[in-house]
Amino acid sequence: MAPELQLARLQHFLHSVVVHGGTVDEAVAAAHPAVDADAVILPSRTLTASERLGIYHGMYLLRMEEALAADYPALQHFLGAAAFRALVKGYVKEHPSRSYSLNPLGRHLPEFVKVAPGRRRRAFCHELARLELAISEVFDEVELPPLSAAQIAAVPTAAWEEARLVPIAALRLLELSHNVNEYLRSVQLETHDHPPPRRRRAAWLLIYRRDYRVYRLQLRRPARDLFAALVAGVPLGQAIAAACAAPRAPSESELFRWFRDWVAGGVFHAVKLD
Amino acid sequence: MANRWNFPDLGIGVGLRTAHYGAILSSWPAVDWFEILSENFLDSGGRPLWVLEQIAERYPVALHGVSLGIGNTDPLDRDYLRKLKALAARVRAHWVSDHLCWTGILGRNTHDLLPLPYTEATLRHTIARVRQASELLERPLVLENPSSYLEFATSAMPEWEFLARLAEEADCALLLDVNNVYVSAFNHSFDPNVYIDAIPADRVVQYHIAGHTDLGTHILDTHSDHALSAVWELYRRAWLRTGRAATLYEWDEDVPEFAVVHAEARKAAAYQLKPVEPAPPQEPAERLAERPARAAADVHGA
Repeated sequence: MAPELQLARLQHFLHSVVVHGGTVDEAVAAAHPAVDADAVILPSRTLTASERLGIYHGMYLLRMEEALAADYPALQHFLGAAAFRALVKGYVKEHPSRSYSLNPLGRHLPEFVKVAPGRRRRAFCHELARLELAISEVFDEVELPPLSAAQIAAVPTAAWEEARLVPIAALRLLELSHNVNEYLRSVQLETHDHPPPRRRRAAWLLIYRRDYRVYRLQLRRPARDLFAALVAGVPLGQAIAAACAAPRAPSESELFRWFRDWVAGGVFHAVKLD
Repeated sequence: MANRWNFPDLGIGVGLRTAHYGAILSSWPAVDWFEILSENFLDSGGRPLWVLEQIAERYPVALHGVSLGIGNTDPLDRDYLRKLKALAARVRAHWVSDHLCWTGILGRNTHDLLPLPYTEATLRHTIARVRQASELLERPLVLENPSSYLEFATSAMPEWEFLARLAEEADCALLLDVNNVYVSAFNHSFDPNVYIDAIPADRVVQYHIAGHTDLGTHILDTHSDHALSAVWELYRRAWLRTGRAATLYEWDEDVPEFAVVHAEARKAAAYQLKPVEPAPPQEPAERLAERPARAAADVHGA
């Protein structure tokens, strides 16, 4: 066998042992390619070959758990340590890291939670994971300067109707049907009930970053519809007209307050004039 | 002795960790330099990158990575190297380092520093990849000796010999982690002094020092404590051979407040003894006695 292939074969073997979800002996027995660990790895004066392999095997899952717990602290809190570890074990088997960074490791966790067997309150967990993923994404997004007063003043009055507002990158709009935002807040403040009360109500959450801090702003349906239209690139005049024609049309003062809060929050980056 | 690239001795630095961002930004401590974990900043456009830019404006920095996978059998990740190069340029990094290890296979990353079998074939394989990585980065790669918990039956040479030959033949620089030497020496029952003495001194551009966790049967490189005096003594021994080189303290678990880490790092100064200058050659007494009178007069009259 060519030397490079020998190295690759060895790495395949070790990799399959390290990432295996069972015990190290089960991992060696199931490894592909099959290799006699005692013939490949030397014992130390205190540890067998298998025990030495077990050090790497044991650290793998701990490292994955630590990385995912950093992104999903409330989900971990809700599930408890043992259930979260079981979730991580199943998740990394299906979605192993393929990046040089651990940052994107949890990207598929919300979808995994949705279908993984044995989860209690699956829909709640799914939404909680979506919320925590959105917060992580917003945290890491590219920084774009928020719309300034000078940029706003530079737009001719007549041009506003056709103007489009360009959102910052560090922004997500979530539609939720469980009280996950309240739960997350209570976990952060350590004032939560456990388990959290079951409460279902449609809610819309704007998650955005300003001055390198992530904020969550709850929106009511009319505000959400208008905001969604704006970030989708609908011209300002058309978006406001649609909002005013909706069953629960906002008052002029409500509209003013929404725009004031959004601009003050720095959620828009630019005004695009065709 | 200066290293062969004349990389500067940046002094005594500390590994930049998230837990210390606030303390650093609020007080701009008198630290000589910071080492940053490259992967934490490659794809982040948020606060971590902003903090790094603030720090890079005020302190020298070097990049330290964990995902290059110089011993992997997958092709080198060019996208990763391109981003690494761009980050190094952005923060004016003095050098870019990673570990002598492999990290995964078929595109999957274990995020561990896995040991290599030290064979001629692995050496050839790794030399080619170090050269390639250095070319893509347009700077000499700096490689760190890893700590490890297992050894391969197929290894044909000790790690220090592998590392020394790799450095010479691939023309790369070295980051000598004296704690890793200590950890591996315990785990594999070798004399750490032999390792230190075998490292090509003129290729060492940086030191790492850290604490570890002794589990009795083996030692884990946890970066979770103060360094043992035995580790500091290895640093002293190495420093005597290499002379001045940037030194950095790593603390990654149970991270205490910044001042504690900085104070631990500053201990390095006490171990930085100057290499003993070789004494000028002295001629034997009989030869001096035989010297012609003329020569002696010339000396006195000079």
